[in-house]
Amino acid sequence: MIIETFFPRKRLTNIDLETLFPDWSAAKIEEKVGIKERFIVEENETALDLAFEASNKALRSFDKSKIDFVLLCTQSPDYLLPTSACILQDKLGLRTNIGALDFNLGCSGFIYGLALAKSLIKTGLAANVLMVTSETYSKHIHPNDRSNRSIFGDAAAATIVSSDDVENILEFDLGTDGQGMNNLILMNGGMRNRLEGTVNEWVDDSGNARSNNHLFMNGPEIFNFTIEKVPLVVENILKKNNTTLNEIDYVIFHQANKYILNYLRMKLQIPKDKFYINMISTGNTVSSTIPIALKDCRDQEIINEGDKVLIVGFGVGYSWGGTILKIK
Amino acid sequence: MKKNDFYDELQEALEFEEVKLTEKTEFRKIDGYDSLHVMMIIAFVDSRFGKRLTAKQLFNITDVRSLMELIGLDNFEE
Repeated sequence: MIIETFFPRKRLTNIDLETLFPDWSAAKIEEKVGIKERFIVEENETALDLAFEASNKALRSFDKSKIDFVLLCTQSPDYLLPTSACILQDKLGLRTNIGALDFNLGCSGFIYGLALAKSLIKTGLAANVLMVTSETYSKHIHPNDRSNRSIFGDAAAATIVSSDDVENILEFDLGTDGQGMNNLILMNGGMRNRLEGTVNEWVDDSGNARSNNHLFMNGPEIFNFTIEKVPLVVENILKKNNTTLNEIDYVIFHQANKYILNYLRMKLQIPKDKFYINMISTGNTVSSTIPIALKDCRDQEIINEGDKVLIVGFGVGYSWGGTILKIK
Repeated sequence: MKKNDFYDELQEALEFEEVKLTEKTEFRKIDGYDSLHVMMIIAFVDSRFGKRLTAKQLFNITDVRSLMELIGLDNFEE
């Protein structure tokens, strides 16, 4: 499985945020959420551009004529239609007799992408799937929503899943609960509520500017969802794969923020040295945090051949899922 | 749980260094109190009392006493 990542050039540091919001301290942001800086796209740069760059990197070591399916996970498409995956196929110069589609998920996106890629390969519809996660939440966030600006960063990851990889992607556990839709939502811009030119704005309890044209996240409720579902999904994955946490070499959860991850680690009693927390220079990059972490762990030899790595994604929807990867 | 222990533990969980929590401390009057602290309260109550509080419930609390009422006053002693 080839994984490559791509980040925009522009950085937003905690010092920048401190300058913008003088009653905030850069040190406190880092201490609380575990993020020092994040990459942010320029006005004319989109998730499709990031997806293209990440894919190009991945295709440097893979014959692009062998790609026979493109899956692109994004909630920041260039257009409502056509789907970004079709444009990506053309930009990358991939064959035209292949399938390509977008799927709209957030922090669970990489897990679902892997599940889809595995299924396409298992059923013989594809042999080499280019699965891209690419997100630019910075475009959805109100400029004066300091909480979300401090958490989210933009990025893309391109993963090539081939027939040889399928046996190393073990059983999945997936879940959905649309009752949580209002806790992480971009209300306007779809067909239910068209984008409004002038929109009512307000400031929430924590001093963040809000409007229905921008991303809204009810952090405490998302946290409640997380502490309820993640232990269950971990239990289910272990059960489905007939294994135990002791037999797992390393655990990578979606990098939501440091506080949530620390709490989950303690709740699940996962040893510190088996648990990944690192979003200090990238922020929460939504669907790309898990592939970014996997690449980082492989590059730094934190995970090695033969290791069993438990991965879990969870977020907007609500949508969640996880599996175990055997590292090749 | 003894009330004084509760105040101390809650204070530690919320990482408040400059405020000494009492029954009458009003959360929103504490400098820097924000949604992350609400999350911290959820985590604290989940781990210490095995009880899950919603964001809506916590939006309605005012002082430490009102949080104790949400948890259930029978959990506390002098």
